[in-house]
Amino acid sequence: MSTLGRILLVEDDPKDVELTLTALDEYNLANEVVVARDGEEALDYLYFRGNFMRRAGENPAVLLLDLKLPKVDGLEVLQQIKTDEQLKMIPVVVLTSSHEEKDMVASYRLGVNAYVVKPVDFHEFVNAIKELGVFWAVINEPPPGSIKKK
Amino acid sequence: MNQAGIEPQAMVQSKPKLSRLLSAIQRYGLAVLSVSLALGAALLLNRYNFHSVADPLFLFAIAISVWYAGPGPAILALVLSSFADSYYFIEPLYSISITRDDVPHFVIFILFALLLTWYSTLRQHAETQLRQARDKLEIEMLERTQQASLLNLTHDTIFVRDMSDVITYWNRGAQELYGWTAEEAIGKRAHELLHTVFPKPIEEIHAELLRSGRWDGELEKTRSGGTQVAVASRWSLRRDDQQRPAAILETNNDITERKRREHEISKLNEELGKRTAELESINKELEAFAYSISHDLRAPLRHMAGFTELLRKNTASLLNEKSQRYVTMIMESAQRMGNLIDDLLAFSRIGRAETHKTMVSLEQLVQEALAEVRQDAHERNIVWKVGGLPAWYGDRSMLRLALVNLIANAVKFTRTRSQAEIEIGCTDHKQNQVVVFVRDNGVGFDMKYVNKLFGVFQRLHPPEAFEGTGIGLATVQRIVHRHGGKVWAEGLVDQGATFYFSLSKSMESNL
Repeated sequence: MSTLGRILLVEDDPKDVELTLTALDEYNLANEVVVARDGEEALDYLYFRGNFMRRAGENPAVLLLDLKLPKVDGLEVLQQIKTDEQLKMIPVVVLTSSHEEKDMVASYRLGVNAYVVKPVDFHEFVNAIKELGVFWAVINEPPPGSIKKK
Repeated sequence: MNQAGIEPQAMVQSKPKLSRLLSAIQRYGLAVLSVSLALGAALLLNRYNFHSVADPLFLFAIAISVWYAGPGPAILALVLSSFADSYYFIEPLYSISITRDDVPHFVIFILFALLLTWYSTLRQHAETQLRQARDKLEIEMLERTQQASLLNLTHDTIFVRDMSDVITYWNRGAQELYGWTAEEAIGKRAHELLHTVFPKPIEEIHAELLRSGRWDGELEKTRSGGTQVAVASRWSLRRDDQQRPAAILETNNDITERKRREHEISKLNEELGKRTAELESINKELEAFAYSISHDLRAPLRHMAGFTELLRKNTASLLNEKSQRYVTMIMESAQRMGNLIDDLLAFSRIGRAETHKTMVSLEQLVQEALAEVRQDAHERNIVWKVGGLPAWYGDRSMLRLALVNLIANAVKFTRTRSQAEIEIGCTDHKQNQVVVFVRDNGVGFDMKYVNKLFGVFQRLHPPEAFEGTGIGLATVQRIVHRHGGKVWAEGLVDQGATFYFSLSKSMESNL
C-alpha cells in the first residue's frame, strides 16, 4: 500500500468502500484513493508507521473519515489530526451514516472541515461522493505539503 | 370636729405644676383648718370652765394634719398650735410671751407633737410600702393564675418536674396526650410514668441542659393505655434565686403521625429514586438503540440501494421489463425504509431532546416555515392568507418544525386543487393560551378517522395518492404536548381541513 493518493478514505465497511470507489471512478479518482480500514490504520498512514513506513512524504489532499470505526473511532482520529501541528491543515470531511446532532457538534468542535451524511439513495450518494472528491481533490487548493495534482 | 370628711390627699403624684400647687394649698389649708377648729373648740370649752383641754385638742389637730396632709403641714400645725396655745391659754393671756414656769410645759408639748409627727410619718411610710407590696403581689398572683390557665388552654403538652424527676405540674394537654390526670401524674417520676425512651444517655441530655439551659429532641413515650407515642420534646431549665437548678419545664408535641408520614415519604422517595434510575437507564438504552438504528440500519439499506442500482446499470440490456420493474421496486422499498427510519429517528429525537424555551415570535416562525415550504411548491397556484400571531414562550426550533409540518401538509393535500387556499392564523389569544390554526381547501378527511390523524405512521390516503410516512402530525402532536398544549383537527371529505394547536403559557416544560 504505497500508492500515491490524494484521498485517504477511512472506512471499515467493505461495501461502503466499494460504493465510494465506484462513485469516484466516474471521475477517474478511484486510483487516487488510499483506504484505511480503521482509525489506527489511518493514523499509521499519517504518521508513516506500520504498513506505511515507506510511503511517500506528502500528506493527502483530503481525508474522508467515517465516524464508527474499529479500534480508534473517527472522532478520536479527528482529534489527533486537529491537535497535531503537522497534520492539522489536512482538510477532513466526516462521511457518516449518523444523523445524530451530537456527532455533528462534536466533529465541528474538533475542527472538521465538512460533515456529510451518507444518503440512502444511491444517486444522491454517488453525487455526494463525486462532488466531495472533485471539490477536495481537484478544485480545492490543498495546503502546503500535500500531494499535488498530476 | 368634722375633718374626717375631708378626703386624704394623694401625696406622691407626678402631676403638672398647677395641680401640685393646688394640692400643697389644700394640704397646708387642712393644717390651718384643723388647728383653727381645735382652737375654736378649746375656746368654747374654756368658756364652760373645761380647762386643760387645749393641749390634747391641738395635738389632735397636729395628728390629723400629719396623718392626712404629711409632715410639712404637721410642722405648720405645730407652729400655729404653739402660738395659739401661748396666746390664749398660757399666762400672760393674749400675749405670745410665756413665763419661765411654763417653759417645761411648752417644751413637752412641742416634743410630744414632734414625736407624734415622726411616728405618724413612719407609720404612713410603712403603710404605703405595705400597700404597694400587696398590690404587686395581687398583680403577680393574677398573672400567675392567668398563665396557669393559659398553659391549660394550649394544645401543647406541658409539664414541670423537679430535679429528681418528680412531676409538679401537669397541664390539660399532657392529660389529653398521655391519658393520666394531673392528680395521677403529679408526684410521680416522669420517666417512670411515661417509660421514656431517650435517643442518647440521659446524662448527656442533663449535661447539655445544665450547660445551655435547654434541650430538645425526639422521645418515645408510652400512654396510660400502653400505646407508644413519638414526641418532639423541648426542655427548659428553671433556676432558683441562688441560680441552682430548680425544675425542668418540658413541652411535648405529638409527632407520631408526622413520623409515620416521614417514614412513608422516605419510602416513596426511595422507590421513586429507584424508578428514576430505572427510567434513566431505559432512556440511555433507548438512546443507544436510536443511535445504533441511525448508524447500523441505514448502512445495509444504502448498500441494497447502491448495489441494486449498479446491478440495473450493468444488466440493463440483459433484464426483461418485468425484472427491471422488480429491481426498481427493490430500490423504492430501500428508499422508503430509509425515509421511515429517518422520520422515526427525528420523531424520537423530539421526545428525547430537552426543550429550550425562549420568547419567540410565532409570526416570524410562520414566515420562516412558509419560506421553507414554498421552495417545494413554487410551481403551484396557492393563495396564502396569514393572520397576526403573538409572541409566545416556547422552543423555537420545535415550534418551527411543527409549523413546517402543518403547512407542508396543507400544501400536499391541496395538490389536486387548481387554486389552493391556505390560511394561517390564531383564533384564540388569551392571557395564558393561544390557539394557532392552519386551514386548507384540500381533500380533507372523514371525521370518523380524526383519532387516527395524529398516530405514528397512521395515514388516511394511499401512498400513490399522497406520499409520506405518516409521522408529520405525530411529530406536531409531540411538540405541542411538550409545550403543555393540545392538537386537534376538523375536516370534511373533499372540503378541506383545519388543524389547530394550543400553547399554554406555563413556563415549565411538559413531557
